Amino acid sequence: MSKKLSRREFLTLGGIMGLGAVLAACRPAAPTAAPTAAPAEKVEEPTEKVEEVEPEPQPVTETVTVEWMNWWGDQREALMDTCIERFEEEFPHIHVENQVQPWDNREQRAATAIASGTPPGLLMVTRAEAQKFAVEGLIVPIDDYIQIRGHDVYDIFLESEIDAMKFMDKTWSYPLPGSFLDNTMWFYNKNIMREFDMDPDVPPVTWQDVDTAMAAMTTFEGGLLETLGLAGPNGYFYSHIYCNNGQYYSDDARQLLFNSPEAVETVEWKVALLEVAGGIESHSAFFEGLDWQKADHPFYTNKLCMQPHNVSAFGHFNTITSEMYNDTDQWGVMLVPYNGNNPSAKPTGISGLAFTWNQVIGAALPANVREAAYEWLEFYTMREEGGGYFLLSQGRPSPVRRFNENPAYYDANPYWDKVREIMEYDIGVPTTPVQTEIADILNRNLDEVWYGMAEPKDALDATYDEAQPILDAFWGEA
Amino acid sequence: MGASSSASAGTVESRVVTTRLSRWRFRNRRWVGWLFILPWVIGFLIFDVLALVLNFYFSMTNFTVGARVPDWVGFANFQQAFTKDKLLGLSFTNTVYYAGLSIPLGMLVAFVLALLLNADIRGRGIFRTVYYLPSLVPAAASAIIWLFILRTRNGVLNQFLGLFGINAIPWLGRPEWAKPALILMSLWSFGQQMVIYLAGLQGIPTELYEAAEIDGASWLQRLLRITIPMMTPMLFFNLVMGIIGSFQVFTAAFLMTQGGPLNATLFYMLHLYNNAFRYFRMGYSSALAVLLFLVILTLTLFVNKTSGRWVYYGGA
Repeated sequence: MSKKLSRREFLTLGGIMGLGAVLAACRPAAPTAAPTAAPAEKVEEPTEKVEEVEPEPQPVTETVTVEWMNWWGDQREALMDTCIERFEEEFPHIHVENQVQPWDNREQRAATAIASGTPPGLLMVTRAEAQKFAVEGLIVPIDDYIQIRGHDVYDIFLESEIDAMKFMDKTWSYPLPGSFLDNTMWFYNKNIMREFDMDPDVPPVTWQDVDTAMAAMTTFEGGLLETLGLAGPNGYFYSHIYCNNGQYYSDDARQLLFNSPEAVETVEWKVALLEVAGGIESHSAFFEGLDWQKADHPFYTNKLCMQPHNVSAFGHFNTITSEMYNDTDQWGVMLVPYNGNNPSAKPTGISGLAFTWNQVIGAALPANVREAAYEWLEFYTMREEGGGYFLLSQGRPSPVRRFNENPAYYDANPYWDKVREIMEYDIGVPTTPVQTEIADILNRNLDEVWYGMAEPKDALDATYDEAQPILDAFWGEA
Repeated sequence: MGASSSASAGTVESRVVTTRLSRWRFRNRRWVGWLFILPWVIGFLIFDVLALVLNFYFSMTNFTVGARVPDWVGFANFQQAFTKDKLLGLSFTNTVYYAGLSIPLGMLVAFVLALLLNADIRGRGIFRTVYYLPSLVPAAASAIIWLFILRTRNGVLNQFLGLFGINAIPWLGRPEWAKPALILMSLWSFGQQMVIYLAGLQGIPTELYEAAEIDGASWLQRLLRITIPMMTPMLFFNLVMGIIGSFQVFTAAFLMTQGGPLNATLFYMLHLYNNAFRYFRMGYSSALAVLLFLVILTLTLFVNKTSGRWVYYGGA
């Protein structure tokens, strides 16, 4: 006998099924792969202090998925996909998911991902974030892997780069792409130099040369900047102090030193350059809506001469205008200028103070996923067909010493000799997890200088007074 | 016989139980409704109520990113906010400035457009759709559009002003112009308010207008004596929503100015975000969130309290 389903019963059934579906969707995600040796791998709870994690090299038989959370879109995504294909050929039991994330709310995404209890296999974060996560026990160091594999990391990587991966006497990542040449190398446009009767083969060497070039090549039309000698003269204060024989941090990172006479002089130099550009508002208006990754950036349209930029510039430059990129008669690279009036000053670049990527492994991951994540990390940083290929394809130097000897770099980068020469001027500096806060305070006070509301010395002293207690508090708790 | 009667008695008893159960189920059939809203209730309890309670708890701790149990610090975070945080007052002032201008301007623009779109004109539906569309544009896309509109050089707005001989204004580059620029941008998403006003306008009985017309009331008199009083519930609703929304302004400043220039657009939520996700001071940020909650709650209660004097709900 068949019984008709009443409307109420139908709705009830539907409600129950819907609830069931919601509850099923809300259940914790199943592990990406079953642990191989131990039947029920216990996920380690992050503890208050940094935890030593022993790698457990086990024969892996089932596929382990490593979620690789990063922020590398554009042309880098396809390159990374190629690296992943090569990796998976060699490690068929590991599947890497290239999870490229949008840049918006990056900090929020990174923090929630690592603190969620189900972090991605490998997460790309800044140095300050990695240090903070390390202090909180959210990530694991890779020293044991390094030891087991017998890597001499100082032999493999540039010293300043591997140092930027260390904190509290532990190593938390391998460097890629590295932060060297972040501020040591400037691009310059030879076309505009010719236009203003300057020798395109003799770029500025000292701050005084920059002053001359800035004055010669900065012009206005209708009250607005038409051409500009140097982009962002108010930027890179943290590294330009070193070009005046000053320091940002003391060597042990316990003391802030950016209110020294050398630092004050550095800010004064920048203020003078800004005045040539018509002030901060005039300068900002010149670049509004433009960036290096757009074809109408004034460097590409011969309206700008000098542009400090990190090595990612090569890849973007080549993508946007390969014709100009491959014509060394139109542009060049130069070493960061130094204060020629200070006998102790010399060109210096700072690696890792403002920004450098760390790729970190979450402590809450099952051991087999951590193991797989480390394999992937090692492949795409240390291996020629991984990180070597990734950087070479972009014409970017590698933090791995031997990769930079690859002759193919001469085809990928028209200034390869010069780039390698400039790399020698980079030094590593220590930082702390509170560096972001300190930098924000510094930038806030320096803004007042750029807007003519404060004197350089007063602004730097005020920054010190506000920031040093934050640093002291960190070391007090550490 | 005995066995048969016993079985029969059991069957009867079973039927009685079934019948009683059916009656109980029928009498208490509201559980079906509860079942349907259960997913929402679960979400509300977890993502709203629990989050709110946890926020109050975390505001009294030194919670940071991570899994360890935070230490209880009592009111230290609040004390720090009022005594040490140099940016709290500034960010609050910026937010009040923004709210003070964007709420009335937004309401005015939405109301005027709703009046125009309520008129009996050809293509009214198309106009309504067109004016509503900006509300559907994602915030990030809006920010990019407005960056081009507000550019000092060749920006749409400056080119328009140039027609009247006005020099280019560095909208986002000068501290005194940055907040007005973002307020201007906020007017772009008036669509949702406009729809509510439109619904309200269509609910006003036409007899009122007919009677007023017979009495010789002008357009302005009809607007002031009929339309606006009848629309006060909608005005009240949009005012409350405007207060809540504008005190939480974040996206435009986050994407377009990052709080600059000179912290002119450092709104309260941006300051809170920086503390939470740039400095990982989650406990302190929770305290800031509690303070914002109290401010919005106070303002909402104040508006609600005064609504009896100016909101007309019909009847006597």
